[in-house]
Amino acid sequence: MRGAILIALLPSAAFACALPPSIIMTLPTGYYMLGAAVTVAVTGLLATTPRLVPDMTLRTLLTRRVWLPVSVTSYAAWIVLLALVLIGFVGARDPMHNLLTLIIWTIVWVALPMGCMVFGNMWRAVNPWTAPIQLTRQILGRTRGAGIARLGHLPAVAGLFGFFWFYIVSMSPDDPQTLALATASYWTVIFVLGVVEGEDWLEQGEFLTVYFGYLSKIAPFWLEVEGPRATLHMGWPGTQVLAMPPLSPSAIGFVTLALAGLTFDGLRETFWYMAVIGENPLEFTGRSAVIGVNSFGLLLTWALTAATILAALRLGPMLQTQAVGAFAGGAGTTAVRANLMPVMLSFLAISAGYHAAHYLTTLLTAGQYTLAALNDPLFRGDDFLGLPAFYVSMGFLTDRWTMTLIWNTQFLLILGAHVLAVILALRLTPEGVQARVHFPLTALMVGYTVLGLWLLASPTG
Amino acid sequence: MTKLIGMTPSRRTLLKGMAATASALALPGFVQAQSSAPIKLGFQLHRTGIGAAYGRWYERTTQAALKVLNDQGGINGRPVEVIFEDDGTDPKRGAEVVEKLASQAGCDAIFGPLFSHVVNGSAPRAGELQVPYLVCSEGFHVASGKLNRWTMQPGITDVRAQVSSMAPWVAANLGKKVTMVFPDYAFGHDHRDYFTAAIEAQGGEVIKHIAIPPTETSFTRYLPQIPKETEVLYHVMVGPAVLTFVKELGEFYGTGTRPEIFGFIDSLEAVDTASPGLEFLEGTHFWEGHCRVKQADASEHEAFYRMAVGVDDTGASVSDSKDVATYAHMFSTWETLFVLKKGMEAAGYQTTADRQKLIEAIEAMTNMPESMEHPQGAKVFNGKTHQVFGHQSISKVEGGKLVRVHMTSIEDGMYEDAVDYTTMSF
Repeated sequence: MRGAILIALLPSAAFACALPPSIIMTLPTGYYMLGAAVTVAVTGLLATTPRLVPDMTLRTLLTRRVWLPVSVTSYAAWIVLLALVLIGFVGARDPMHNLLTLIIWTIVWVALPMGCMVFGNMWRAVNPWTAPIQLTRQILGRTRGAGIARLGHLPAVAGLFGFFWFYIVSMSPDDPQTLALATASYWTVIFVLGVVEGEDWLEQGEFLTVYFGYLSKIAPFWLEVEGPRATLHMGWPGTQVLAMPPLSPSAIGFVTLALAGLTFDGLRETFWYMAVIGENPLEFTGRSAVIGVNSFGLLLTWALTAATILAALRLGPMLQTQAVGAFAGGAGTTAVRANLMPVMLSFLAISAGYHAAHYLTTLLTAGQYTLAALNDPLFRGDDFLGLPAFYVSMGFLTDRWTMTLIWNTQFLLILGAHVLAVILALRLTPEGVQARVHFPLTALMVGYTVLGLWLLASPTG
Repeated sequence: MTKLIGMTPSRRTLLKGMAATASALALPGFVQAQSSAPIKLGFQLHRTGIGAAYGRWYERTTQAALKVLNDQGGINGRPVEVIFEDDGTDPKRGAEVVEKLASQAGCDAIFGPLFSHVVNGSAPRAGELQVPYLVCSEGFHVASGKLNRWTMQPGITDVRAQVSSMAPWVAANLGKKVTMVFPDYAFGHDHRDYFTAAIEAQGGEVIKHIAIPPTETSFTRYLPQIPKETEVLYHVMVGPAVLTFVKELGEFYGTGTRPEIFGFIDSLEAVDTASPGLEFLEGTHFWEGHCRVKQADASEHEAFYRMAVGVDDTGASVSDSKDVATYAHMFSTWETLFVLKKGMEAAGYQTTADRQKLIEAIEAMTNMPESMEHPQGAKVFNGKTHQVFGHQSISKVEGGKLVRVHMTSIEDGMYEDAVDYTTMSF
């Protein structure tokens, strides 16, 4: 009920405000940030005593037969996706009553990533491309690729950027028809490329497959499938990261973009950012008014994220005063400087932690609509999930106890992710590297911790 | 979803209506079939964006009203369907939504938008498409004459009436020397301009205007600007920092004497006034468009409305005592739907060709007595300015609850007509 641009033309066009008062703003968030910063910095001191860095070894819990082959589950997921796209086109116009909008934005983008962070790569089973591509290639008798794989992760980088732009910047990503069109188009493009290149290409070329794959490397439980046997492993979060090969330059581009996209999604709503772009957060004009500036903001955030991380990884080795030896990076074997690039993998932990913290409230709010819609998809009064009667309720957002609990959960997720990242960084560092080399990286991690918490604590419009 | 799962939602009623339509189709031919097809109303919903907190309750209220309306037999014997379309609380999207609802979905009329900038961005399109556009926005933009013949506000009073009608009671009961604290943008400026003029008309004066930048998150450096001789502190702070404002105000005055305090419930719409941290508000007064706490003298209509929407006696959802409704504003969607019903019945509305007749029928309305259709109270509609006038409540926080201490007369909020839309062409 307020006017913005039109205020100048119309008298008295403004009224009221719908932003709920923020309980988190009344909590001592500054002390939380300070405590987290100190904790991360102290963890960084482990660089001086590497023997204290915890060992991360995996335990095998059980081996069993594969219950359902991926070709079956993926095919089923594809059928479900087709149905959802159809619902997007012809179903309820209200996004909170449309299963396509709800499932894409609360399950695929929020619940599934959280699941992957705990139980490993759940996406692999429900990837809606694997089976259709396999099947089509078999029918076409196609066994080879066309060389798209030479692009490395670049197609996934493009896909992730397009996704973030659609989700964060574009005017109506919740609109069921818009989302149905975007989903169908993206599925088709990836399907065609996959048929040309082979389903294995998805692992590096399709952004959801890459992103979920990375997030699941943090999981304390994970399943490895070989032929008809599946083995369930357990280990400290990040154990799998230590077994990964270093990231390629295009994969580094992907990880920095993932971090930047999540950061910008938080940043764009803060009063601070609104003031920078000249928007009044109490009468935000709407997404249509900030598409240009937010597109630029997304790119700039990516550039800054990549620049600071790469700078820390390059600057650190310059502090080395002793020869590193066989682990020296670069082409020359005589190089004195260590190659810290493998440490880039540690940022996967930050990405995962921030994803979980940032979307926690989305899960608790929009997730209720999803439950309701799954329970009664046609709004006929069905009760498929056997749920007790309930109204979607946002009361907890104004409840001091619940919001304090949510803030503390977010705090622990952010802090835990950064402590894990520091530990992973130490474990991924080649031997012989001096403790001082870690200083720029640890400083960056401290900064990132504070930034992550600040984004969650800031007033938003 | 804002429907109660397990309860019979409106869609079921609709399906029954459609089944009835289908059976009618089989018998007396096309004309009969057409006239018993559902009436389609578009609801421009702030489902996402800055207005989402209001949007959730606006949808819930509308769904409840729709169920009542259909249970009563619909409009002109036809079932009614409401198509909810999200405008993202965005003026550009709002115009697109109007077009989609009017042209693609073939809605007979559109209603529901709240935020002024969205209304201002959408109303011109409604005028071009010649579709009745009934807003629930409180803005003075309708009555100011800046919109068009197709845009009306029959379900809620405007900010000018609301603010002006507070002055007589404030001057007579709280004091005549007023300091106003308001956010420094159009919303705050409306309060500043209308209240300052209205209190002067009562022989009072605003001795200090304290405008606070919208991005401010701490207020300690503004509070010392409140003059000592202030008798009434008028505040309309909104947004995430409201709790901080109340806390700092409490710390500023401590346990010492403080002026009388008067605010607009917009600051705490959808927030429990008994929340920890809001203790300082005990004994202060608020404007309410509709009392969130069920008053001792509440009418049977008010009680029925409350029950139908699923709101308990304290103003919270029946399923969650923490989930406080946007009670001061959301009645507007209920009342607007029933104005549409009455208008369509008066106009003998059959098809979209009768849209003009619908506007004329609503323009002809005057008295709207308190009833199931108007649970907030009696109203008077001004067909010339397309704006409705009604009662306002002033409530006092007593034991954390808002208890009404005064209800304004309808006349308290009236002002001279600024426009006669009925003389404009369609």
